[in-house]
Amino acid sequence: MGGLIWIITAVLTGCLSIYCWTDLRAVNPKWARLLLIAGAGAAAGIGLTSCIFFLTGPLLKIPAAAPVLELAILASAGYRSFRLRSQPPEPSPQARSHLSLLLIAGLVVIVGVGIAAFSTAWDLNPQGNWDAWAIWNLRARFLVSGSDLAARAWSPALGASTHAEYPLLLSSFVARCWYLSQSSSSAVPAATAFVFFLSLIAVVTGGVTVLRGPALGLLAGLALAATPSLLREVPAQYADVPLACYMAAALILVLIDRPLLAGIFAAFAAWTKDEGVLFLVVFLAAIAIVRRNALRTAVAGALPVLLLNAGFKLFLARGNSSLLSASLPGAVHRIFDPSRFATVLSAFGREFVHMSIGWYHPILPLIVLAVALGPDWNKHRREIFLCAAVFLGLLLGDFGVYLVTSNDLAWQLQTSLNRILLQLWPLLVLVVLLCLRTTVEFAAAPSPAAPRARKATKKKR
Amino acid sequence: MRYPLRVTAGLLIAALLCLWGAFQSYAFESEYQRQNPDPFQISAAFRRLDPVRGAVPDRAVMGYLTDLEPGSGMETAMFLTAQYVLAPRLLERNLEHAWVLGNFTRPADFAALGKSKSLRLERDFGAGVVLFRREK
Repeated sequence: MGGLIWIITAVLTGCLSIYCWTDLRAVNPKWARLLLIAGAGAAAGIGLTSCIFFLTGPLLKIPAAAPVLELAILASAGYRSFRLRSQPPEPSPQARSHLSLLLIAGLVVIVGVGIAAFSTAWDLNPQGNWDAWAIWNLRARFLVSGSDLAARAWSPALGASTHAEYPLLLSSFVARCWYLSQSSSSAVPAATAFVFFLSLIAVVTGGVTVLRGPALGLLAGLALAATPSLLREVPAQYADVPLACYMAAALILVLIDRPLLAGIFAAFAAWTKDEGVLFLVVFLAAIAIVRRNALRTAVAGALPVLLLNAGFKLFLARGNSSLLSASLPGAVHRIFDPSRFATVLSAFGREFVHMSIGWYHPILPLIVLAVALGPDWNKHRREIFLCAAVFLGLLLGDFGVYLVTSNDLAWQLQTSLNRILLQLWPLLVLVVLLCLRTTVEFAAAPSPAAPRARKATKKKR
Repeated sequence: MRYPLRVTAGLLIAALLCLWGAFQSYAFESEYQRQNPDPFQISAAFRRLDPVRGAVPDRAVMGYLTDLEPGSGMETAMFLTAQYVLAPRLLERNLEHAWVLGNFTRPADFAALGKSKSLRLERDFGAGVVLFRREK
C-alpha cells in the first residue's frame, strides 16, 4: 500500500507541474484540458521522479535526497497552482452533444472492462510476464539495494538475457517506490503499468479532442482502450505501454504547439526503451522538416534526459553490447538477403492481423470512421505529414532492425514484433484520425426558429 | 448539434465495435489468465528460495549449479527466476564463487554431486534448493 501512495505523489507532482509551469491550462475544451493535464502529468511525474531517484540514489549515493527534492517540487507546484486558481482560462465555446455524452459513457465502460480484465491478471499473475521479472523489475531490485550494489542493474555479469544496457526509467521508478515505502510489493509495477495505460488513453483522447473535436477525440480513446494487445500488455508490466504513452504524448504535444514539453516526452521515451531512441531521432528529424521553428525548443526540452541517457549508455552500461552493435558484423549481407526481407515483411503482416481477437480487429472502428466521415488531408497537411513521417520512420527503422539483427530472426520476430506494433499503434490511430473530416464540418446546429415555426404551423391547423 | 445520419451511424457503429472488442478481450484475457496462473512459478520460487536469502549476504556473487540442460528454456527460466528472487545477490552460471546455489528439479545425492565439483554441501533447504560452499 505504501508503494501505491508514492505512485500517487509522483502523479500529483507531474500533474501540478504540468498545470502550473506549462500553458496546457489554456487548452480548450475544459474536459480535454483536464485529460491532457492528467495524462501528460502522470507520465511526466513518473519520468521526473524516476530521473531524480536514479541521479540521487544509484549515481550520487544519497537516495534520501530524492524525497526531499520531490517534496520541494510538489510544494512549489502546489503553491503556484493555488495562486493560479483565481485566473480561470477562457471558457470553452463548444457545445456538449448527446453523442459526446454517449461516447464518454462508452469510454468509461471500456476502461472499466479493462480494469476487470487487469484485476484477474493481477490476482493470478502478480509478477507480470517474463520481461517484467527477468529485466525491468529485476533491475529495480538491484537499484533499490543502495550503495554500490545498485551498479549490478547495468552489470554485464547479468548476461545477455537481462539486457543490462536497456535504459532505466521504468526500473528506477519502481525502485523509487520500493525504496520510499521500504517494501518490494508487486503492486507497484502493476499499478505503474496501469497508470501508463490510463495516461495513454487520457493524452490521446484529450489531444485528438483539441485537434479534431470531441467526437473524434473520444473515439480515439475508445479505439485505443479497446485494443486487444494493449489490454494484454498492461498486466504484463513490460516497458512497451510506457513507451507508447511517451511517444503518443510527444507527438500530440508538438501538434498542439507545445514543443518544449514534446521534447521532454520524446526524451522520456528514449530513457524508457532503446526503441525510444529511434523515436527521438525520427521525431526531431520530422520536426526539423515540418516545423523548423519548433526544433530548437524541442531539443532544449529533450536535452536534460537525453544527457542522462547518453551518460548511462556511454559510461555506465558500456560493457554491455546492444542489439545493434552485436549485429554490425555481417549486417550488410543480412540487409540484402531477400529471404530475410520476405520473412520480416510477412511477419509484420501476420502480426498486424493477429492484433485481433475473435472477429474484432482494432482497425475496424477506424475503417468505419473513414467511411462515415471521409478523408480531408488538405486542411492540416503539415500535421498529417509530421505524424505520418514519424510513424513511417519508426516502421522502417524497426523493419531495418529485424533485417540486420544477428539473433535468430524467427525467435526475434516471435518474441518482440507484437510489442513493436503495440508501440506504433497509437501513432497509427493518430495518423488515421488526423486524415478524416471532423464531425464539426457535418454539424447542423438546430435552428432556434425551428420550434417556433412548428408551433406556428400547429396553431394554423 | 445534429449530424447527417451517415455520420451519426458511423460514430455509433465505431463506438459499438470498440465496446465489442473490449468485452471480447476481457473474456479472452480472463480465461487465459485463469488457465495460466503464474506460468513461471515466481510465487513458488519466492517460497523455495526464501531461506537462501537469509543464509547468504546481499553482497554475495553466487555460482549456480543445476541438473537441467544448459541453455534450455526451462533452465533459463529457473535461473532468471532465482536471480529475480535472490537479487541483489548476483548469480553466475559457474562454480567459481565461494557460495554456489544448487537449483535442482530431481532428487539426488547433492553432497556427492557437490564433492565431485569441489563443493561442500552447506545446507539442503528441500524442494531441490541447496547451498554449497567452495572448498578451499
